[in-house]
Amino acid sequence: MTNKKAITRSPPRARAIKSFLGQLLVHNSARFGLMALVVFFAMAAMPAFLVGPLQTAINAMGDFLAPPSFINPLGTDEVGRDVLNLVVHGARTSLIIALVSTVISLVVGTTVGMASGYYGRWVDVWLMRITDFFFVIPSFVLALVITPVAVGVMGRSGDILGFRPSLFVIILVIGLTSWAFVARIVRSQTLTLRERQFVERARVVGTSNIKIMLRHLLPNLVPQIAANGALVVANAIYTETALSFLGLGDPLQPSWGTLLSLAQRAGAASSGAWWYLGAPGLCVVIVSLSFVIIGNALDDIFNPRRRVIP
Amino acid sequence: MAGGSGGRAGHHTGRIIFRAAATLLMVAILNFLLFRVIPGDPANMLLAGARSAITIHQIEAQRQSWGLDKPLIPNQLFSYVSATLQGDLGYSFKFRGRRVSDLILERIPATLALAGLAQLIAITIGVTLGIIAGWRRGGAVDNITTGISLALYSTPPFWLGMLLVVAFSTMLGWLPGYGAYSAGAAHVGILGRLSDHARHLILPVLAVTLGLIGQYVVVARAAMSDVVTEDYIVTARAKGLTNNQMLMRHAFRNAMLPVVTLITLNLGYVVAGAITVESVFAWPGIGSLTVEALNARDYPVLQGIFLLLGASIVFANLMADLIYGVLDPRVR
Repeated sequence: MTNKKAITRSPPRARAIKSFLGQLLVHNSARFGLMALVVFFAMAAMPAFLVGPLQTAINAMGDFLAPPSFINPLGTDEVGRDVLNLVVHGARTSLIIALVSTVISLVVGTTVGMASGYYGRWVDVWLMRITDFFFVIPSFVLALVITPVAVGVMGRSGDILGFRPSLFVIILVIGLTSWAFVARIVRSQTLTLRERQFVERARVVGTSNIKIMLRHLLPNLVPQIAANGALVVANAIYTETALSFLGLGDPLQPSWGTLLSLAQRAGAASSGAWWYLGAPGLCVVIVSLSFVIIGNALDDIFNPRRRVIP
Repeated sequence: MAGGSGGRAGHHTGRIIFRAAATLLMVAILNFLLFRVIPGDPANMLLAGARSAITIHQIEAQRQSWGLDKPLIPNQLFSYVSATLQGDLGYSFKFRGRRVSDLILERIPATLALAGLAQLIAITIGVTLGIIAGWRRGGAVDNITTGISLALYSTPPFWLGMLLVVAFSTMLGWLPGYGAYSAGAAHVGILGRLSDHARHLILPVLAVTLGLIGQYVVVARAAMSDVVTEDYIVTARAKGLTNNQMLMRHAFRNAMLPVVTLITLNLGYVVAGAITVESVFAWPGIGSLTVEALNARDYPVLQGIFLLLGASIVFANLMADLIYGVLDPRVR
């Protein structure tokens, strides 16, 4: 009884958030995903506090390719750097690239999808034609040619908005090439929302188109965007890792993919240095799996029809 | 499907083909613009890159065929597209001025062998497991398969490749983890070379297969479990059909629609998907060529590879759309 009273007294938004969290945490796998992400975000937030400043070839102290020991829990690389140090600092680079590029693709995808669905007619036709192109050609393939050209044009030195140029380019390229899937989902959702009464009412009262989209459509699109956003992050991590592995990352600010690329070049696999290539790869798998799991859980919560199916 | 619908179906097919052509044209235009954004005259860059391995004559011929003395758009774009259509992709910087089209063509068989074999295995095993898992949702097979597929789905295939090299090549010493043939004349005769080649194929194929299998399981499972809740399955059960009869007569056929689409689509990504894995194993295909071109900033080769990837993806999409129209007449 008291429980019920407490719930009814709280404002509707807090109630909604509470019931949402409750539903999310019912999924065992989602709980695992959230926990893993908390750990990795902590690493990304304060790498220097956890493992000291990023080691370079100059201040490296360990032996070359030494297996895990008490001093180097994850062993060392080919120039004697501590792999744990590299991996924790790599978390920051990898997660920043993944999250910023996801924000870019969510903003672009939502804008394109909403405009397309809301305005319809020729706006829809042209925007969807562009979307189709980006939907068909995968982000990885586009990034594979755009990144080297963009880095070549901008040069590798200096920094842009606090990022090294090659990281900035990778963020921008991944963000601007992986929004098509979001745009399609947002568009189809907008098409159904557009016909709902509250939108019509807003239009009758004389609300401007932009305001209708921001105030009335966008809040109703958030669940869809969130569920798919988690998948976009997983995809961004995947693309970034592959690109960096092919040598497009920045060796001075190594992401997990760059570490794997360095390990490959140092012949870690053929010299049996499993710790060197194992640690960054495992991080990629855990983080992207966590985002996929959370995305699926969100999808389950927002699509109640699915849960009914045995 | 009587009389009048024939025209509509034809119209639909025409639109699909037109859209594919438009996408391909956009790939070519993007290719063209990217190449022109790089500072410097492309022909002179060719000279600098190839370091005198190219004659002045070749460069002049290239300047003419690219129309570099004319305005960028539409003249240069037009001559680029028409040169590309004739199979002229320019000359490589790194490989001493060799024709890009030749370089790419000689690398394709190795990639097709690797990726084709991996696709075949992944499709067979993945779809079978997915169907079983979807048919008995919540069963033991379902739980194990779905868990493993999700994990594989989020694992970069090239990392799996590196792990396989550590385990089976470095530590156990069972299989080679590098190249397509053993160095030296260790294997004589056609059979010896063939078995040597096959041994070199095992680990890369395994890596690509594991990278692909997850999505086949997930899609086949989802398709199957969508079908299982349909009314006609309930009807079939009410009619007293056995489990196997329902599976084969009703569920399987309908579940195959999205699976066939996925398979066709994936055939377009065959080359792109193998790039990173090839670089781990130094497999002499398109993937290794990509990495070599990236490291040397060999732009003509990169552009050629992009065109190849784009074209195969667009073609696979076209096929998928057409097949979908045949299998499910409602789309028409």
